[in-house]
Amino acid sequence: MNSLETILRQLRLAAARARAAHYAVHGLVGAVAWIAAVLVVARLVPFERRAQVAAVGIPLAAVLVVLAWSLRRPSAAVLMALADIRLGLKERLSTAWERRAESGPMDGPLRQDALRQAAGARLPSAFPVRVNRGEASLIAVLAIFALGLALLPNPMDQVLAQRQADRVSQARAAKAVVDAQKKVAASDKADPQVQKILQDTQAKIREADSPRKALESITPAEQQLQRLTDPGTPALTSSAQNLANALSGTAAGRGAAQAISSSPAKGAQAVRDLASQLQTLSPQQRQELAKALAKASQQSQNAQMRDSLSQASASLQSGDTSAAAQSLNDVASQLDSLQSQQNTDQAVASAINGLEAARQELAAQADRDASGQGAQANAGASPSAGASASGNGSGNGTGNGSSNGNGTGTGTGTGTGTGSGSGGSGGTGGTGSQGSGSGSGTGASSTERVYVPGQPVPGQSENDPTPLGPGQDVPLSPYSQVIQAYQQAALDATDQSLIPGSERDLVRQYFSQLGEQSQGAR
Amino acid sequence: MIAEEPRIDATRVTELAQALETELARLIVGQKALVRDTVIALIAGGHVLLEGVPGLGKTVLVRSLGQVLSMSFARVQFTPDLMPADIVGTNVIGESDGHREFRYQAGPIFANLVLADEINRATPKTQSALLEAMQERTVTVGTQTRPLPAPFFVLATQNPIELEGTYPLPEAQLDRFFFKVLVPFPSEHDLLEIARRTTGESTPQLKPVADAGAVLAAQRIAREVPIAEHVLAYAARLIAATHPDHTELDSVRRYVRWGASPRGMQTLVLAGKVRALLEGRYNVAFDDLNAVARPALRHRIFLQFEAEADGITSDRLVGELLEHTVKEPARA
Repeated sequence: MNSLETILRQLRLAAARARAAHYAVHGLVGAVAWIAAVLVVARLVPFERRAQVAAVGIPLAAVLVVLAWSLRRPSAAVLMALADIRLGLKERLSTAWERRAESGPMDGPLRQDALRQAAGARLPSAFPVRVNRGEASLIAVLAIFALGLALLPNPMDQVLAQRQADRVSQARAAKAVVDAQKKVAASDKADPQVQKILQDTQAKIREADSPRKALESITPAEQQLQRLTDPGTPALTSSAQNLANALSGTAAGRGAAQAISSSPAKGAQAVRDLASQLQTLSPQQRQELAKALAKASQQSQNAQMRDSLSQASASLQSGDTSAAAQSLNDVASQLDSLQSQQNTDQAVASAINGLEAARQELAAQADRDASGQGAQANAGASPSAGASASGNGSGNGTGNGSSNGNGTGTGTGTGTGTGSGSGGSGGTGGTGSQGSGSGSGTGASSTERVYVPGQPVPGQSENDPTPLGPGQDVPLSPYSQVIQAYQQAALDATDQSLIPGSERDLVRQYFSQLGEQSQGAR
Repeated sequence: MIAEEPRIDATRVTELAQALETELARLIVGQKALVRDTVIALIAGGHVLLEGVPGLGKTVLVRSLGQVLSMSFARVQFTPDLMPADIVGTNVIGESDGHREFRYQAGPIFANLVLADEINRATPKTQSALLEAMQERTVTVGTQTRPLPAPFFVLATQNPIELEGTYPLPEAQLDRFFFKVLVPFPSEHDLLEIARRTTGESTPQLKPVADAGAVLAAQRIAREVPIAEHVLAYAARLIAATHPDHTELDSVRRYVRWGASPRGMQTLVLAGKVRALLEGRYNVAFDDLNAVARPALRHRIFLQFEAEADGITSDRLVGELLEHTVKEPARA
């Protein structure tokens, strides 16, 4: 005959099985409900990791089931009492179990009676493994519902794809900035301020909520970079070139002239060498050198350079070679300063190139977002627009140069990818010196948009200068000649900026009306 | 291993009950529940109030019980002019050796089995004469308290209170009855059998099957029957639920004025123990409590007037309580 402990073991096993099934069904309901809830939420709000979050529900439910199963184990007394009720044992087992340690006059017969009755009962049937029909139906309904939600198109998918594209675009833009930063760092012209500006900007681009927000950080960065450039650099460059031109006509200064033309730093060293050799020069050579310096002084647009050259010329003419040498050393220092400025300018130009590449990337993505095609358009984008622009592109730049004869000229030149270019033909009578400017290049990028700062005024023909109007310092053009060019420029601008398609149509409509009015006026 | 005490022969109780029931059945036709409840009360040591319209065999039952038990039996016919002294006895002047002195003349209450016939026909003053005897099993006359013989068993009969010339028993008196058993009208088949047995040439003569010692022994054994804690808790829940301020049943809140007293709980458990033995078990089951709940509680639940107006009986309320009181233990 079984002992009470044996009966209890059988009941525990049966109860554990029944509870396992019971809680497993509960857990299944919870897991399916969780998945359905996640899928419903994913249809209401953009939910990127919905698959992962939905999947979390399964182990979570399993853990909760195991916890509940293990924590809510009924005590032996409860098991016995439940078995009594469910097997019709008339509380024999529970009473016998409760009094198992007692030795009262009735306890012996009670125990024997309980064991005898339990032997005739099928104990596991007290805790049958049952699945609640309502719960099973609920699971089926929820599963079908969740499956439907998972299979039917989700309107939030497009939003998520757009966000992903935005992030990719921002990453590309940030990488373009980082590339520019590396390029600046790799050159011997590294400027910590430029580096910091680029570093901050790429961080802002990465952290921005959207490409549109990221774009807002580029213009301030460009302005900061522009502030690093010295506006007096062109004048000093022109003065240095004039000095080189003047010295090239002298026997003693020819070498220095070539060095200055090569680079201001080499020129500075050559001028110092020349200063140290002044005493060895013949009087004729000194005289010739003094004249060249005087000429360069006259042409110089930089006051300090002009003074130094003038003093050097005067000292040479008076035979004071030491004073002349001192003045030439001052000139050399100014050439060193010029070299430093040019280095900074080149670093700034490189940085701006990188920022422009980032701007193109962000603007393109922002445009796609505005037109609702942000997700699709990005798929075909090139790996690195910024890299190709700065690495393989050819740039166009506008430069300002000053002639050595009759004044200041404005020229247009082509430059390398870094944006520095040589000046074109200047104004009347002058030859433009080396122009400085920034340019951006088009590389093997999928997007064909090119950002061109300093674009010529639309409608203004460079080969066909128009007369100035009375009291005006800009050339005037007939309205009918420029309207088309203005329209094209405006539409190009809308293409490159964050203007929605509807607004672009408004611009087009505006110019169409203007065109009709001009034709009517004719 | 814990050594067990010498076994009590619980079957003696079962055999006693069976002998009583069998012998009574020779004269009492049907009324098995009535007989069973009476026997349970006898073994539990409680008093029984039998209620039924005249002629249903209440008195016959009690008289028959007196015949099958070898114990002293007394019958008191309660009438409106019955005085307490007529029950408990009184001091009378008597002569002894030429001296006159007060001598106690014992009343009919001094018997093992007392039939208080038509108890509600006496005035409340006389009814109250039984209070001390039923609860304390003593009688106090003057300044002297005298014990009653053991076992002491009062079987009272009463007509329903709707009948004329009755005085409803006060609550305190009712509470002292272990059971209140309703005597139902016999079935047609039983009526035929009653006619056959009682209108013939001879009526069955009952013989004694137990004496006072057997009854007292049975009472001791019955008290040894164990009851599990959760069964006891069920009994407590049941008793508590009879009170309007402790129940969740709307009908109890609406119709009950007072619920059962702790004496009701004692009755429920003790009667459950006896019934368990009579059912051949050594433990009290929920079924035992349920089976004795109505006779144990029906006279301990005092209803509002609204219940009477709506035809609600205490039996019906007890039925609802049994149906709604939770049996399954908490999953502790």
